[in-house]
Amino acid sequence: MSFTQQKEEREIEEALVKDLQAGNLEAYDKIAESYQKKIYGLSFNLMRNQMDAQDVTQEVLLTLFRKINTFQGKSAFSSWVYRITLNASYMKLRSKKKEPNVSIDELLPSFNGAGFQQEKIQDWSENTESLLFSNETKDVIKKAVDLLPEKEKVVFLLRDVEGLSTEKVSEILDLTVPAVKSRLHRARLFLRKKLSGYFEEYRSKKGEA
Amino acid sequence: MICCKECVDLLYEYIEGSLDSGTTKSLEEHFQECPPCIAFFNTYKSTRTLCRDTLNEIEIPDEVRHTLQSFLKEQKKQQEKK
Repeated sequence: MSFTQQKEEREIEEALVKDLQAGNLEAYDKIAESYQKKIYGLSFNLMRNQMDAQDVTQEVLLTLFRKINTFQGKSAFSSWVYRITLNASYMKLRSKKKEPNVSIDELLPSFNGAGFQQEKIQDWSENTESLLFSNETKDVIKKAVDLLPEKEKVVFLLRDVEGLSTEKVSEILDLTVPAVKSRLHRARLFLRKKLSGYFEEYRSKKGEA
Repeated sequence: MICCKECVDLLYEYIEGSLDSGTTKSLEEHFQECPPCIAFFNTYKSTRTLCRDTLNEIEIPDEVRHTLQSFLKEQKKQQEKK
């Protein structure tokens, strides 16, 4: 998207928000329509449960409606929507039994005293194209993301999955830019390690066949 | 020459294109000498793409979409009454 397009979209959205603040219900429809997939997608990826994601989406849409006058425009409207979505998802997650988190450090790369790779690294990156379409691969990927600790997971979902900029993620989560970068890097390392186990096993099976 | 640990620490900024030219050069020299780090770099990049493509596939199921639509309609009705 070009800079001009982005600017135009932002202006349209700002106008919609103003209309909604003035009580225009048509503006509400448009806002709900343009955000519900984002809200649902993010909450589903955080909770991996259709009913919960539906509840959260309803709650967020309702909050947007009821609290629109508390939105002061200090941050982007979309950042406000993402924050409400995250809060609602976390409330929902907290009300459920929590799975014990895996320690991320155990899955980070290990090096010897001189700083050289200690483990054997296989390059499975060229095999992924054909594998990506299998449901088994998709399940492995989803499970790996589910295992990420909360702090790293949210940064990963906003930055790498939603495709938001580092600056925007730092605004939404009220984190510094270096903190966002460091969490994202750790999340990618963790996921790389998790996926490596799966793809390397696949390669060796294929080699045997 | 930089070691593997430094190489891995720099991958994030390398992909972003935010490393200065000197550091980029050292990193690329390391890659030339170290196939495991090339493999690491390729799989690091693939991880990002694979996860993004998989998790972005999520669509709102039809039944959820219908529930949301009726919910919004109801909210609007209530608002109009006020």
